[in-house]
Amino acid sequence: MTASTRLDETERVNESPNFPLRVVDGLTLPPEYRKALRPGEDWMDANSFPRQLPRYFYEIPSWDTAMKIELASHFLLWEFIQVDVREAPPLRTFPRYVPCAITLLAVCLERFREAVGTLVHISANGGYRSPSHRFSKNATPHAWGTAANIYRIGDTYLDNRNAIERFSLIARETLPGIWTRPYGAPTGYAEDHLHLDLGYVLSVPRDVKS
Amino acid sequence: MTKTESKATSANPASPRERALRHQIEKIEKESGAKAIAVALHDSETGFQLHYHADRWFHAASTIKVPILLGVFAAIDRGELLPHSRVHVRNRFLSVVEDIPFRVEAGRDSNSAVHNAIGKMMRVDELAYHMITTSSNLATNLLLGVIGPASVNETLRQLHVDDGIELKRGVEDELAFEKGINNMVTANGLLRILVMLAEGKAFSPALSRRMMDILHGQEFNQGIPARLPKAARVAHKTGEISTVAHDAGVVYLPKRKPYSLVILTEWDPSATGRLRTIAAISQTIYELLTQGPELKDE
Repeated sequence: MTASTRLDETERVNESPNFPLRVVDGLTLPPEYRKALRPGEDWMDANSFPRQLPRYFYEIPSWDTAMKIELASHFLLWEFIQVDVREAPPLRTFPRYVPCAITLLAVCLERFREAVGTLVHISANGGYRSPSHRFSKNATPHAWGTAANIYRIGDTYLDNRNAIERFSLIARETLPGIWTRPYGAPTGYAEDHLHLDLGYVLSVPRDVKS
Repeated sequence: MTKTESKATSANPASPRERALRHQIEKIEKESGAKAIAVALHDSETGFQLHYHADRWFHAASTIKVPILLGVFAAIDRGELLPHSRVHVRNRFLSVVEDIPFRVEAGRDSNSAVHNAIGKMMRVDELAYHMITTSSNLATNLLLGVIGPASVNETLRQLHVDDGIELKRGVEDELAFEKGINNMVTANGLLRILVMLAEGKAFSPALSRRMMDILHGQEFNQGIPARLPKAARVAHKTGEISTVAHDAGVVYLPKRKPYSLVILTEWDPSATGRLRTIAAISQTIYELLTQGPELKDE
């Protein structure tokens, strides 16, 4: 094998031929997007610790694209980007932007799905939502694309202590390092869904130049 | 005057038609066993009006959904919402009492469509339709969660129809109910909104028509429409809890302008015949408005 052949193979690996979304640097987006996404900015969490928001995003050109792209065998991109009228207006129309770490979340959910053996449903506003979303009060991993609110698993609605705690335990046993919100009504708890997240993970794809 | 007191008669001398109507409503009220009845009527054909205990305050029950509908369309008019804007369907709300969470019981909503969408999203116009036509409490609280009670109250003020309407909270907030924090209405308050809608003066003729279309879809028809002729079309909203039964709507009859009618009633929890009483009053009003010239106003 010649040196030039090895170089060609390396380039092909980095092209990610099966993942067609373009990576964009949030700092180069138009002002209305930068205002809503706040790329690379610090954002205080509930304990007043600064957390750096994602800077790199996948650009989703259309809903049709989101409906077609598999992030994992049983999870399509659209499932992670359902937001309602509380999301900032520029982020409710296409092109949409989602942090690159969303792919890591999808892999985790795929493992979780294997463990529970049935369909896992992410709720509206329960995948990626921007720091400008009206539900985003403190730095929430939802704005990093690393959190999911699961409202239903198979035919079981996660709206009671038994269901939430049972599946929470499965998630923690299956996914090392995963965090699940405890059952309960006060702020910081959840009583009508299972919240799980990977924390404030930043993903910078290899083909990012800066 | 307290929230439950009112004047039964107007200051102006009553016309023969008004005297006849009052007499018949008093008779129905006496025979029904209701604790209180209020009626407000505005006939766009003749200009005739009746205000029978029409400033007495009642628990609004689901008639409060008419002002909320107005608040939703105000947000549409301002461009803050679109009819097809999507809303996350989630059955978790915070009481006005100490922000304690509560849920809307699925069994108390006659419509399962909204409950079946939990976790997903529904359009604003779909929720508005379910809020009115099958009185979905879940749809109501979801819409109120998006626009907020303060926004609805501000809309009522701007449209000068806030007198006689007190919106304080969403529906099925039992903690608030126990503390006496309730949505309240008077017959005159609801009548002002209905007349505005019927005349196409809420935001624009087009938006008024869309709200009237939703009210025309009402599926609970045992009150005002029950004893009217089949040709009558009624755009209306009912409201019923253990102690009140109401109906408020606009009645469209062939070859004449519509009349707007609000009937509010209060009962002992064990009382029966509530909707029958509303239907009887509605029938009486229909007959007096459409009969011959002998009872025309002076």
